[in-house]
Amino acid sequence: METHRIPTGIAGLDEMLHGGFLSQTANLIEGAPGTGKTTLGMQFIQHGIVHCAEPGLILTFEEFPEQYYQDAASFGWDFRAHEAANHLRVIMTSPEVSRADLQQISGRIETMVHQLGLKRVLVDSLSHFERLTTDPVELRQIIFGFVNGLKRLGLTAVLTRENAALLGETSDSEEDLAFVMDSYVVLRYVEIQSAVHKALLVLKLRGSDHDKDIRRYTITGSGIEVRARFEGTRGIMSGTPTMTHAEAFAAAFLPAGSGGKQPVS
Amino acid sequence: MANSDDLATGLMDDMDPRLLELIQTRINSFIKWDLVRFFHENPHTTDTAANIARYTGRDVRTVEPELMALARDGVLQMDDLSGLRVFTLAGNSEMRELVHVFIKACDDRQFRVKAIYHVIRSLR
Repeated sequence: METHRIPTGIAGLDEMLHGGFLSQTANLIEGAPGTGKTTLGMQFIQHGIVHCAEPGLILTFEEFPEQYYQDAASFGWDFRAHEAANHLRVIMTSPEVSRADLQQISGRIETMVHQLGLKRVLVDSLSHFERLTTDPVELRQIIFGFVNGLKRLGLTAVLTRENAALLGETSDSEEDLAFVMDSYVVLRYVEIQSAVHKALLVLKLRGSDHDKDIRRYTITGSGIEVRARFEGTRGIMSGTPTMTHAEAFAAAFLPAGSGGKQPVS
Repeated sequence: MANSDDLATGLMDDMDPRLLELIQTRINSFIKWDLVRFFHENPHTTDTAANIARYTGRDVRTVEPELMALARDGVLQMDDLSGLRVFTLAGNSEMRELVHVFIKACDDRQFRVKAIYHVIRSLR
């Protein structure tokens, strides 16, 4: 049976996800500050409203709605107009209150979902749940209950999570959190020959196959654009990749234009 | 002949009577004014006093009694959410409209001067 896909609107990412996220799932976007987690989430919301007739909700634990309006406007997305047309709600709230609200019968979020026909939600960011407990097991249970509450309402969720490390691997606790999610997309800074690039990897997509390539991406004036996979390097997710043996040989011994591939720049 | 205090009062009372009543009886402190502005800008926010204090950059000990007073006066709504005391902008459309008119009126410097005058008087 064909599974219903929820496209993100980011062509390269949808290709990696074989069409998009699965409907009514929780999808974690994890990355360092400035890697574009919120931009990816906003693009997911914008695409749903404009191209899929799927109204969206943004639950923000960090920024004021005004900040989202401004950030969205910089990509040409009019979130203020979407709100006025009841296609979007941007709600500044806290993890404890939104969690308690979801646990209620006919809570505010549930009422809003039914009244506006909301289909997509961006939760920005899960990192704030860490304020609720220092016990990683309890934190996992809290987040598990929270994402199940969103799924129960029929929402497809993108949840961001900050990784404090600018370069390198995730910590054990971050990987632990990925178990309660249906998909896990990692955004990373990568240093190659004294320049910083951005890399994207779909680590997990429960219930579906997905591309395992590590792809380069950029944040342009119209949002995130996922480009080709990194070639000729290994150890990309370490943040400081090295050239493969073949690329290192070509770089060292073959003159430019001789047919050997040049190192990734 | 009217004394200068009466004259000032007369000048300062020259505003929409609904707004004058709102300032004199409900938005009668600068913290309440800030809180009302916050909820006007975030009409879907429902949160605890501690979090609202954080959002507005104030101390919860200062903010909580003001939130409770605004709730008592019908500007905000106070609910119990699984043991959490939470505040949101009152759902009453008349009150929401009045708050909107007040915030829009604050764009005018003359109005702000009058509003500040009344808030200071009520703080005496």
